[in-house]
Amino acid sequence: MSTTETAVRPRSGTSASEPSTRPKGNGLPAIGFLAPFLVLYLAFIIGPGVYGLVMSFFDTSLVKPGLGTFAGFGNYAEAFQSSDFWSGLWHTVWFTILTTPPLIILAFVFALLADRARHGRWFFRLAFFMPYILPSAVVALIWIFLYTPELGLLDTGLAKLGMTAPNWLGDPNWAMPSLAITTIWWTLGFNFVLYLAGLQDIPRDLYEASAMDGATPWQQIWRITVPLLGRTTTLVVVLQVIASLKVFDQMYIMTQGGPNFATRSVLQYIYDEGFTNFRTGYAAAASMLFFVVILAVSAVWFGIVRRQQKGA
Amino acid sequence: MTSYLSRRALLRGAIGLGAGAALAGCSTPVLSGLGTGGDAAGSLAYWNLFGGGDGVRMTSMVDAYRAANPAIDLKAVTLSWGNPYYTKLSLATLGGKPPDMAVAHLTRAKTLVASDLLEELTLDELAQVGITPAQLDQTAWNAGLVNGKAYTVPLDTHPFVMFYNTDICEKAGLLDSSGALIPLDSPEKFTEALTKAKDVTKAYGGVVAITADTSTPWRMFQSWYGQLGGEVLADEGRRVVIDDAKATQVLSFMQSLTSSGIVPPTLDYAGSVAAFATGQAGFYFQGEWEISTFQTAKTPFSMTLFPNLYGGDKYAVQADSHTLVIPKQHRPDPERKLRALGLIKSFLDQSKTWAEGGHVPAWLPFRDSAEFKALQPQANYAAAAEGAVYDPDGWYSGSGSNFEIVTGSNIATVLNGQQPPAVALAQMRSALTNLAETASPI
Amino acid sequence: MAVEAPERPAAVRADIARADSRTKIFNRVCAGVLIAFALIWLIPIAWALDTAFKPNEETTATRWLIDNPTFDAFGRVLRDTDILRWFGSSLIISTITALGVVIVASMAGFALSRLRFKYRNAVFFLVLAGIMIPGQVLIIPQFREMDSLGILNTFWAVSAPQIPTAIAVFIFKQFFDGLPRELDEVARVDGAGFWRIYRGVIMPLSRPAVSAVVIFAFVQSWNDLLWPLLVLSNPDIMTIPVGLATVQGSFGIRYADVMASAVLGAIPLVAVFLLFQKNIVEGIAGTGLKG
Repeated sequence: MSTTETAVRPRSGTSASEPSTRPKGNGLPAIGFLAPFLVLYLAFIIGPGVYGLVMSFFDTSLVKPGLGTFAGFGNYAEAFQSSDFWSGLWHTVWFTILTTPPLIILAFVFALLADRARHGRWFFRLAFFMPYILPSAVVALIWIFLYTPELGLLDTGLAKLGMTAPNWLGDPNWAMPSLAITTIWWTLGFNFVLYLAGLQDIPRDLYEASAMDGATPWQQIWRITVPLLGRTTTLVVVLQVIASLKVFDQMYIMTQGGPNFATRSVLQYIYDEGFTNFRTGYAAAASMLFFVVILAVSAVWFGIVRRQQKGA
Repeated sequence: MTSYLSRRALLRGAIGLGAGAALAGCSTPVLSGLGTGGDAAGSLAYWNLFGGGDGVRMTSMVDAYRAANPAIDLKAVTLSWGNPYYTKLSLATLGGKPPDMAVAHLTRAKTLVASDLLEELTLDELAQVGITPAQLDQTAWNAGLVNGKAYTVPLDTHPFVMFYNTDICEKAGLLDSSGALIPLDSPEKFTEALTKAKDVTKAYGGVVAITADTSTPWRMFQSWYGQLGGEVLADEGRRVVIDDAKATQVLSFMQSLTSSGIVPPTLDYAGSVAAFATGQAGFYFQGEWEISTFQTAKTPFSMTLFPNLYGGDKYAVQADSHTLVIPKQHRPDPERKLRALGLIKSFLDQSKTWAEGGHVPAWLPFRDSAEFKALQPQANYAAAAEGAVYDPDGWYSGSGSNFEIVTGSNIATVLNGQQPPAVALAQMRSALTNLAETASPI
Repeated sequence: MAVEAPERPAAVRADIARADSRTKIFNRVCAGVLIAFALIWLIPIAWALDTAFKPNEETTATRWLIDNPTFDAFGRVLRDTDILRWFGSSLIISTITALGVVIVASMAGFALSRLRFKYRNAVFFLVLAGIMIPGQVLIIPQFREMDSLGILNTFWAVSAPQIPTAIAVFIFKQFFDGLPRELDEVARVDGAGFWRIYRGVIMPLSRPAVSAVVIFAFVQSWNDLLWPLLVLSNPDIMTIPVGLATVQGSFGIRYADVMASAVLGAIPLVAVFLLFQKNIVEGIAGTGLKG
C-alpha cells in the first residue's frame, strides 16, 4: 500500500528508464494493451474537451442539433462581462477560503492527537472518516434537518445555551458559512487519513532522540512533525483547493444556489446556463474559463512540488 | 494476504448485496438502464412539482385516479420545485425518457414548446377524453396557444391577490354592511385603507415580501403596470418596450407605500407571512397559494382581487397557470397519449379538490357551478383569471426565470427605498436589453 | 568533578522521568480533546439514526429519547420511493465502472511500465495531462455526445466517461515499476507472451494496487452526483445520490421519513466501510484523490 501513497505525486517526465534487455520494440502488443484505455480516453475525455472548446465559439443550443452560428469570442466576452459569472466564481472562491484552512488545520490537529493515542485509533478513524464515504445527498439531507429553523438540533441546542441561532441556510450571509460547516464535517476525514499516513512515516527515534534532549511535546511538534509533514501538507492543500473549487453538490441540494443566488457556485452557473437556459455554447465557454482557473492552481502546485524535490 | 482475503469477501458481499437489491427492487425497470426494453404496457408516468398543501391535494387526486383506474399502473413522481424541475423535464425529454404527462407553469411551458419538447394536443384528441377548449378558462387557454396550436391544458390560474385581516379591517371601518371589503379602486383609497389599518395594528398597514425576494416585487409591479396597459417585452423577448411614464407612475406609487411607513421595507417572504399571520398588518399581498398557511394559523382573514387602481373597466393582475402537458416521446404511442389525456381529464374533474388550495380552477364546468361559488374566499377573486397577465414571452422569461430576477430585484430596490424609480428603471432596462440581445438558444 | 560524576545519571533519570510523566499527562489531555471532537463528529449521524426511528409526529420535539421507537419510516420510504431500484442502479453502475477502470487502466499501465514502443513518452504525457482535466468542465460536451450516441438514460452513459481514469493508469504504472523485472524475464524464458505475463505474473502480484483502485473507483462512482444527475432523468434507474437529491422535496416536513431515506442511502457503503475499514482508508489515502 505504501507504494501507492507515493503514486499521487506526479513526477516530471517519464519514469527512470529500465535496463533495455529487449532491443526490439513491442509496438504491436503495446497497441493492444493501450487500445482499451486510449479509445475510451479519446472518445470520452479528449474528444469532448476539443468539442467543448469548439462549441465555446458558437451559439450552440441544447435543444437544437449542430453547433449553431459562429460567435467568435462573443461567449467569452459575455462571460467576462457577466456579473453572474463573476459572482459564481467569487462564491466558489469564498467557499474555498471558508473550507480550506479549517479542513487542513483541524485534520492536522486531529491526526496529531490520534497519532499519540495508544488505543482506539479505529474509533477515531470511524468517527472522522465515516462521513466522507456518505453520498453528498445523504449529507445534505441530514444537515438540512440539523439546520431547520427553530426545530433543528442546532437551533434548539443553541437555545439551551441561551444563544439565538442564525437562519443558517436562509440568510444570504450565513448560507455559505453553513455550507462550509457541513463540508468540513463531511470531508475532514479524507485529510485526516492522509495526515495519519504521513505521521506514520516519521521515524519514532527522531522523537526519542529529541526527548533525550529535553524537548517538550510542543517543541517536538513544531520542530519535527510540522517540517516533516511539509510534503503531505502541500498535497493536502492542493487536493483540498481543487476539490473546493469544484464544489456543486452541497449548493445544488441544500440551497439550490440561493438564497437569492448567494451560494451559486461557478459550476452550478455553468449547469444553469447549459441545462436550464439551454445555452450550451456559452456554458462551454464558461467551462473553459473555469478550467483555466483550475489549471492555474495545478501549475502553482507543480511549481511548489518541483522546488520541494530540489530542496530535498 | 489480508487484502486478498478481504477483496474476495468484499466481492462476495457485493454480489450478495446486488442480488438482494435486484430481487427486492424488481429488476426489470432497473435493467432498462442497460439499454434494454421499453416501458411496461399499461403504465403511466406523471411528474409534478407540488409540495406543501398542494402536494397533499395532488396526492389525493392521484389516489382517486388510481382507485378509478385499477388497471393502469400510475407512477407519480414529485420533483423539487423551480428551475431543477424544468431542467429535469427538459433533459428527460431530450434523453428519450420523459414522463407521459407532467405539470408545467404556462409561462415555462411556452419555452418548452419553442424548444420542441412538448407534444401538440389536437382538438380531436382532447375531444376523445371529453375536453373542449370552450370548457376551459379562455385567458389561460389562449395564452397557451403557440401559432394557433395547443400544447397545454390549463388546470388553474394562480393570480396575485390581496389578503386582508377581517378583524383589523372591521375595526378600521373598511368593511361594508355585508362584511366585505370596501372597493379600493384608486391609489388614494388604497393608501387610505392601509393607513387606517396601520392605526389599528399600531405596526404596519400592509406587508409584502421585499428582501431576498424577486418574484413578489415583480408580481406587484406587473399587476398595476398591466392595469395601465404597459408592456415590458415584445417580439418574443427580442425587444424591450418598457413605457417609462407608466412604469415610473407605478414605481413611484410603490415607493410611497414604504416611504410613508404603512408598508415595512425590509421583510422577506417568511417575515411577511409571519407579520400578517400574527395580526401585525391588515393587508398582505401574495399569490393565493398562501391561503393554507393562514387557515392553519387560524388568522381571521379573507381574500379578494388585488386592487384595481389604474385599470378602470379593464382589470389586470399578474398571474400564472399550472398546466398539464405531454412531453415529446422519441417513439410516440397514440395509446399512451390517450391514457395521459385521460389522466388530464381526471384532474380537471377533480377541480374542487384543487380549488381548495386557493387556485382558481380553469375547468369552467366546475368554476361556473354553484358549488364553486359557495367556496369562500376563492370565489371572491375568481374574476382574476380573466384579467390574468402572464409574464411576457421570451426564452429567458417565465415564473422564477432570469427575467423575474432582473426585474424583481430592481423593483425591490425601489420598494425598500434604496433607489429612486428612474435609476432602477434605467438599470432594469439595460439588464433586460442585455438579455434581449443575447442570441436565443431556442 | 569526581564528586559530581555519580550524580549525573540520577539527574538525567529524574529528568526523563519528569518528561515521561509530562508526556503522559500531555497524551491524556490529547486523548480527551480528541474523544470530545470525535463524539461531536458522530452527532449528526447519531441524530439522523435517532430521528429515523421516531414516528413523524415526535420528530419536532428535540429529544434523544424515543417514546415509541418504530420502523415505520423505513417502511414508508421503501414502499413509497424507488430507493431499492436506486440501490440496484448504483450497484450496477459502480461495479461496471470499478471493473472497467481496473481492466483498462492496468492494461495501459502495463504497457507503459513493461513495453518499449515508439511514442511511449507521448502517450505517458497524454495520460499525465488527463490528471489535470477535471471531469466537471466536460459535462456540456459530454452530455451532447451521449445524446447524439443515443445512450442517455443508460448506465453506459454514466460509466463511459468514468472508466478512462488517468490517475488509475498512473497508479498501476508506478506499482508495476516497483515489481522486479526478473519475474517477467523468467516467464519470457518459459515462452510466455505479454498477455500471459500481465495476467499470470504481474496482476496476481498487484493486489494492493487493484484493491486501492477498485475501492477508489467504486466509492467515487457510487457518490457521484453531477454527471448521473444529467444523464439519468428516468426515476426508475437513478442512482442513490440522484434519487435522494431529486425527490427530497416530496417528503416535505416528514422528518422521520427524510432521515430514514438518508440512513437507507448511507447503509450500503457504510456497511462495506465497517467491514473493511482498514483497506478502504488505506486505499483512499493511497490514491490520494478527492471527489
